[in-house]
Amino acid sequence: MVNLVLNENMKIYRRVRTWVLIGLMAAFVILGNFIMWHEGKSAQGEGWQSELTQEREQWSKQLTKPDLDEELEAFYKERIAVISYQLEHNIHSTQGTMWNGINESASLGILITIFTIIIAGDILAGEFSAGTIKLLLIRPANRVKILLSKYLAMLLFSMVLLLTLFVVSVLLNGILYGFNYIDLPLISLTDGQIVEKSMLLNLWKTYLLNGISTVMYVTITFMISSVFRSSAMSIGFSIGILFAGNILLEVLQRYEWSKYLLFANTDLTQYLEGRPFQDGMTLSFSIGVLVVYFLVFNLISWLMFTRRDVTA
Amino acid sequence: MSSEPIISLQNVTKRIGRKNIIDDLTFEVPQGEIFGFLGPNGAGKTTTIRMIVGLISITKGQILIKGKNIKTEFEQAIRHVGAIVENPEMYKYLSGYHNLVHYARMVPGVTKERIDEVVSLVKLENSIHDKVRKYSLGMRQRLGVAQALLHRPSLLILDEPTNGLDPEGIRELRDYLRYLTRTEGITVVVSSHLLSEMELMCDRVAILQRGKLIDVKPIQYFTEGSDSYQTYQIEAQMPEQAMAAMRQMVGIQGLKLSEEGLIEFTTERELIPDILEKLMKNHIRIYGVQRVRQSLEDKFLEITGGGQVG
Repeated sequence: MVNLVLNENMKIYRRVRTWVLIGLMAAFVILGNFIMWHEGKSAQGEGWQSELTQEREQWSKQLTKPDLDEELEAFYKERIAVISYQLEHNIHSTQGTMWNGINESASLGILITIFTIIIAGDILAGEFSAGTIKLLLIRPANRVKILLSKYLAMLLFSMVLLLTLFVVSVLLNGILYGFNYIDLPLISLTDGQIVEKSMLLNLWKTYLLNGISTVMYVTITFMISSVFRSSAMSIGFSIGILFAGNILLEVLQRYEWSKYLLFANTDLTQYLEGRPFQDGMTLSFSIGVLVVYFLVFNLISWLMFTRRDVTA
Repeated sequence: MSSEPIISLQNVTKRIGRKNIIDDLTFEVPQGEIFGFLGPNGAGKTTTIRMIVGLISITKGQILIKGKNIKTEFEQAIRHVGAIVENPEMYKYLSGYHNLVHYARMVPGVTKERIDEVVSLVKLENSIHDKVRKYSLGMRQRLGVAQALLHRPSLLILDEPTNGLDPEGIRELRDYLRYLTRTEGITVVVSSHLLSEMELMCDRVAILQRGKLIDVKPIQYFTEGSDSYQTYQIEAQMPEQAMAAMRQMVGIQGLKLSEEGLIEFTTERELIPDILEKLMKNHIRIYGVQRVRQSLEDKFLEITGGGQVG
């Protein structure tokens, strides 16, 4: 099994296009952060304390408004509590530190999904279109192992992209803003208590929650590859689904059953922010839905790949 | 030589839709034999080969390789097989060497030394580190042979191996297959639609037509005519006069002058001395007489009932 994964890795990393994608990943992070840094520089003025004080005043004013949404009220109160704590204990806001850029960069995780789809769409279907699948399948390794090794290689590739994102964003923001706030804590209100959390841990939590959607899309890409055996089709379809999914979701949000859609559940950060797609959805509900989709998709890929004749 | 066949097909049938693409195929190949699989395009050669290597499922019957069932004991059975299925498609973006490393990793016990050994066997030492994209068709074919031999298989399966090879390459391959069967006791199953190729390569030939096995025969059966009438060629001075003299004789058929200027005709063996005597009496100098072996092609058409292809 290790050898099979080594083989898949060889086929991924000995191609120029893979390194172009990794380079693009780094380039997007650099570009995005640089623009953010440049704009932030001109907006920065009075220092973080006065900015936070201003923000707190704003939230307080909002609180005095009549017929306030319950959810919003809780949110304002939380922000006020956090800001007060920060000012009291002289804890720098992320604004103007390396962490602002690093945290913002996490949203570039969508690129990890897209780039992984591009490689994943070709890793299985490409063997069929090039005809190499014939020589691959006549070895003492059954088709389940072959499929699994390709799947693992894809997860490793998405990890490589994630590490690229992490390392480049930390280094670049460190250079731009200085490394002096590297141990800045994350202040949050949990169960009515102010707690200091690790910024780094929170970052990786976000990464991994984003990673779940990457895994789901890789699974979809594998399924399409296994059914249609065409790289173009699986890459096109998967990226199409990735974008169409969110649009579709907005249209269908009013229907209750839309919460069973895959796209309504792929973004688990909705629970981190406390704003689920539909009321009554919980983290365990989403995980349950994801597991069902995951198993069904994999079952289809597996059946299609192991049972069908190879006539390529 | 062990008595157990290296490969055995038992009532193998492949049905697609309502049609039997392969219909009740049964044959065995003993160790050390070069076994030819002959038939027009569409006869089912490639389908059969794909079933043997497990790329296509078997509807009915079973295939055993060294006694292991390809369906239920795939990994143990395929371990003994090296194959090229149609064109040897390799990873073009990898070097020839990395292609071999790739396949070596998939079978336990293939060392770095073995890779080097196989590379020199197929004479690719000078270009093995180039990307396969840059290889000529002949080089790809040789790399294909290399990947098939890497794990010292007992059974080598080659589907249309001479496709795209120049005559020199074909001769090399032929010599090489002979060498393998003699020195390593390897068994070879080779398919082709080129009858003349099989004639030079194989020990036994199976003839396949529309998915059915028509006949399995030693190659001699095809090359040595069994009929009393045979075709001969005579190289003579003044062939026109010679032919005029021969026309007066009884028992000579299809007399004609070949493109090379040889007199060609069909007759009984017993008549040859009489013909020569007659020509010498007419003061025609004779430089040579030879029997034209009936080609596999003729025999093939005879067996399959003439020109119906597919």
